[in-house]
Amino acid sequence: MIAYRQSNDSFILARHQPALVLDYARSQEIGGEQLLRGTGLTDDEPPAAHVLLAPQQYLQLLANVMRTLASSDTSFLLGQQMLPGHYGALSHALLQAQNLRQALDILCAGHARLCPLLTPRWREEGMQGSTQGAICGGTPSGTDGGTQGGTLSGADGGIQGGVHGGTQDGRGSTRGGMAVLYWTDSFGAPSQLPALVEMHMAAVTAMCRWLGGERLPWRYCLNRSAPSHVEQHEVHLGNDLRFNCQFDAMLIDPAWLDRPWPRGNALASAAALQGVAGEAPELVPSLLTALYDYLLENIRLGPTLEGSAAAFGVSPATFKRHLARHGSHFQAELDQVRAHVAIHLFQVRGYDNEAVAQYLGFHDATNFRRSFKRWTGLVPSLLRDALLRG
Amino acid sequence: MLQLHRSTLIASCLALVACVFLYATLGIAKPLHLWKWTDIVSEGGTAVMAGSWVLFTLSSRPGGLVTRLLAGGLAMIMVGSFADCMDEFFAVSKAARWDHWLEMLVPLGMLVLTCGMYYWRHEQFRLNEHLQKRERLFRDHRAFDRITQLANADYLRRQIRHEQAQCPGRPCALVLLDIDSFHLINREFGQREGDRVLQAVGHMLLLNLRNDDLLCRYAGDRFALLLPDTGVAEAEAVARHLAAMVGQMRHHAKNGRVSISVRHACASADTDADVLLAELGRVLATSAQSAPSTSPGRLEQSGQSAQAAQAAQAAQPTQAIHSAQATQPTQTTQPALTTQPAQVTQSAQAMQPARSAQMPRSAQPVSVAGASA
Repeated sequence: MIAYRQSNDSFILARHQPALVLDYARSQEIGGEQLLRGTGLTDDEPPAAHVLLAPQQYLQLLANVMRTLASSDTSFLLGQQMLPGHYGALSHALLQAQNLRQALDILCAGHARLCPLLTPRWREEGMQGSTQGAICGGTPSGTDGGTQGGTLSGADGGIQGGVHGGTQDGRGSTRGGMAVLYWTDSFGAPSQLPALVEMHMAAVTAMCRWLGGERLPWRYCLNRSAPSHVEQHEVHLGNDLRFNCQFDAMLIDPAWLDRPWPRGNALASAAALQGVAGEAPELVPSLLTALYDYLLENIRLGPTLEGSAAAFGVSPATFKRHLARHGSHFQAELDQVRAHVAIHLFQVRGYDNEAVAQYLGFHDATNFRRSFKRWTGLVPSLLRDALLRG
Repeated sequence: MLQLHRSTLIASCLALVACVFLYATLGIAKPLHLWKWTDIVSEGGTAVMAGSWVLFTLSSRPGGLVTRLLAGGLAMIMVGSFADCMDEFFAVSKAARWDHWLEMLVPLGMLVLTCGMYYWRHEQFRLNEHLQKRERLFRDHRAFDRITQLANADYLRRQIRHEQAQCPGRPCALVLLDIDSFHLINREFGQREGDRVLQAVGHMLLLNLRNDDLLCRYAGDRFALLLPDTGVAEAEAVARHLAAMVGQMRHHAKNGRVSISVRHACASADTDADVLLAELGRVLATSAQSAPSTSPGRLEQSGQSAQAAQAAQAAQPTQAIHSAQATQPTQTTQPALTTQPAQVTQSAQAMQPARSAQMPRSAQPVSVAGASA
C-alpha cells in the first residue's frame, strides 16, 4: 500500500519557506490582514517554531503576495532566496554539495522539505549510446527496460548528437547526452503553476550559480506560451528559453554534473545528510507525486483507476475524491505521464510513432497519434520536430 | 493621504449640514406631490459626483496651493448643487436672497477650480522636467517599477517601436547595462541591500544622461537605455562613461562597502525590439560567462583578457553589437585589482573630452538643478 499526503495535511514549518515569503513581502512594504487571509498565520511577527502550514495555506500565501505586489518579477525574486534556504540539515547538505550531481540528488531526495509545492525529478540521458537513463527522485522507475532499447541503441547516438548540437559554449558537448531536471505539480495548483515553475526554476538556477561560482548554461523548456514578461525569464533564468513545450524542464550538458564546486565539502555534506534522518520524520510523498511515480512504473501495464486505488489502499470513490481535491482526475494524471514518457522516447531514444505506440501498448500508430493530440494539443510529428530542432 | 486633509473634509461636511439646517429652519417643507424627481436626481447627482471628486483629489495629492484650489473649487460646486437640490424639498420665500447666494457657489467654485487647473498645469510642467528621463512622450502609470521608479521593459519596447515609426532612418541606439555579480550582493548583504544598490545605480545613471534619453529597468539587475539621435559609436562612448561613473560610486551597506561595476552591450535600434533585446541579452550573457567573479561587486577585469577574443568573436556576426570586453582593451590588460579604481578614474577623465567631441549635440551632463531630484 502506498501512503500519501494531501494538500490539507499540515507539514510545512512556518519558519521555513513561508517565513521567507513573509520577509520578502515585508521588504516590499506590504503586509496586514489581506496578506495573511486564508494562510492560518496570525500576525506579522516571525511565526512560532511549532506552527505548521498545509500546502494549500502556503499556496494561498504565495497567491496573496503575488496579487498584492502585481509585479512580474515576484516569482523569480521569491525563488532566488528559496534554495539552499535555512531548512536545517538538508540546507546544510545542499550548501556543501560537491557538484551539481550531488546537489540535484539532495534536492530530489529531500524535495518534500526543500520545495514542497513542486516535485523535481532528474535523470541523465544517453551517455555514449547507453540507453539506460536512471530516473532519480521519487521512486526508481522501470520505464527504461525493454527490448526496444537494445535494438534502437545504434540510432541513439546520432539522434542525441542532433538534439544536443546547440550547446551554448561547446564545453563537453562531445560526450553527447543531457541531464534533465523536470518539475511536476505536487498539490494541484493549476492556476498558480506558471508562477510556481518560474519560482522553482529561478531557485535552482540561482543556487547553482552561487554554489558553482558561475552561471550554468541551462536550457529552459516551459509548458506555456511565451509570456509578455519574457525579459524576467532572460535575466533571472537565462537566454536559452523554449516555450510551448509539453513539460517544465531544465536541460544541461552532463559534463557540468561532475564539475567540482568551490564550496563543496564531502565530509560536511555527508555529515549533514546523516543528520537529516535524525532531524525530522521521513515524509511520505504527496498524492500527485506518488501517483505519478506509480503510473510511470506501471505505464506499460495499462494502469486503471481501480487498480491504482487498490495499490494506494483506498476505494476508487475515495481516490477520485482525493484527486478532485487536488484539482485533478485519474485520466488527466495518466495522460500527463503517458505524454511525458512519449516525449522522452521521441527526444532521447529517437523512437518513431510506431515504436512509441507499441511501447505504450496502443494497437497502432494512428490510435496513438489521436490520443497524443488529445494529451498535448499537438500531433506527435510536430512536437518531435520541435524537440529535435534543438 | 486623506488624514492630511482632515480639516478640509470636516469643513465640507459641516457646510452640508449647515445647508440642511438653514433650509429646514428658514424654509417650509414641500408636500411629496410637488417634488420634481428629475431635478432632484440631476442636482443631487451633481452634488454626489462633485463630492467624490473632492475625495479623489484629496486622497491622491499632498497639501499645497494647487490641492487647496482644486479641492476648494470642487467642494463649492458640491455645496452649491446640494443647496440647489434642497430647493426641491423646501419652499423658500421669494423675498429671501440667501438661497440665491448659496446657489451662486456653483459658478464661483468653477472659477476657483479653473484657477487651480491653471496652477496645476505649471506644477505639471515642473514635474515633467523631473520625469523626462524616466518617460518619453506618453505616460503609463502601470509601467513603473516600484523599487527604482523607472519604466519597465514593456514601456521600453513600445518606445523603441515608437521611435522607429516616428523617425525612420534617424540613428537611435539601445544600450543594456548589467550589474556584475549582483546575485552575490543579494546573497551576502540581503535583498534589501540589493534593492538599495539598484536604486543607487538608477540614480547614478539618470544623473549622467541627456534630457532626451530614456532609462528603463529592463528586469532584475539589468538597465536599458534608449538614446535617440545617437550612433552606435557614440552610444558605446556613453555606455563606457556610465560604466566608469558607476564604478566610481561608493555604496555603503551595513557591514561594509559594496563596490559596484556594470558591463554593457549596445546596438543600433533599427530592428524588431524583441529580437534586438534578445540579441543584446545574449551578448551580455557571453561577457558575463567570460568574467566569472568570486566576490561581490569587485571590479573583475584581470580574468577577462583570455576570453576577450571569445567575446569579440561572439559579437562579430552582428557587427552593430559591441560587447563591453571587446571594446575595452585598455582595461582588460590591467594586472592587479587594486589599481583598478585609479585606472577607472583616469579613463573616465580622459573620456569626458572625447565624448563631448563625438557628440556635437548637448553632450554636457544634466544641469544640477534638474538632477538633484
